[in-house]
Amino acid sequence: MFFRVAAAIGIIALAVPAFAADQVEKAPPSGAYKKVSELVKLPDFLPGLGQLYVDPKTLPAGPFLAYDRDGRLVSTVYMLPVEDLTNKDKRFDDLAAPGGKVDHVDVYFNAGHPGVEKPHAHVVLWHVPKADETRVAGK
Amino acid sequence: MISRRHVFRIGGGILAGLALPRLSLASDPVEIRMQGKADGSHVWFDPIGLRIRAGQTISWINLDPGNSHTATAYHPKNFEHPLRIPEGAEPWNSDYLLPNETFSVTLTVEGVYDFFCAPHEHAGMVGRIIVGRPGKTHSEEAAAQEIPEAARLAFPSIDEIMNRGIVRPA
Repeated sequence: MFFRVAAAIGIIALAVPAFAADQVEKAPPSGAYKKVSELVKLPDFLPGLGQLYVDPKTLPAGPFLAYDRDGRLVSTVYMLPVEDLTNKDKRFDDLAAPGGKVDHVDVYFNAGHPGVEKPHAHVVLWHVPKADETRVAGK
Repeated sequence: MISRRHVFRIGGGILAGLALPRLSLASDPVEIRMQGKADGSHVWFDPIGLRIRAGQTISWINLDPGNSHTATAYHPKNFEHPLRIPEGAEPWNSDYLLPNETFSVTLTVEGVYDFFCAPHEHAGMVGRIIVGRPGKTHSEEAAAQEIPEAARLAFPSIDEIMNRGIVRPA
């Protein structure tokens, strides 16, 4: 199920251009995005993800925009509750994909955190090559 | 942001109004670590089960660099959760602890105390402390109330804690 969702999101990401009105390449992004660590009590920089921004209206799914320590966009992340992925009546349609070109996609389970408390899947659209994932590694 | 000092002040606030829990300087705190895998796929308390003496202090520390955790007693005052601490014991809630923040509480009423991490109860991040003898356990009504299955299955048994003293996560 996760992989079907990931594939669908990947296709969306490739097909939908960034919104011209929002600058997302450098942190902070413009528009309605807010820093996640100012919305909920989470570390400002999450090892493996980076510094996250989200439009609160799009919670819990996102997109979350993830930046490295130099404020450069590295990935777009969706957080999809497992109970929703197994609900035949629940869909995630037309999720925004403002980050542009996607290099590769990771999908993995997350036990939860403030803001998205229930177990969920992280769907990570990386905008950088695999080797550059180290830009958001823990110190 | 809750500072280390503020965390202890929360503990002090709990202590001030009631006979328990109260600050005890007579014995070293027993530490429970809040931990998680780097990708957030698994989170846990370590130890998950603990037997202590009445009057000992428990200190939780968040050693998970990528997540926030709470130490929250099962009690109707905490998000209307079922009562799973001794009747008459004061509940506690650490609020969110960022990495390396701590929270302490001293338990003086004997019995079984169950606690959870607020954002991770659904993932089974719970723990159990037995102070002295387990005595009367939680009421049938409380035991029957719904808690997430992952949490319900994660508690070590009272017998295991009494026999081993410390139960580490599997």
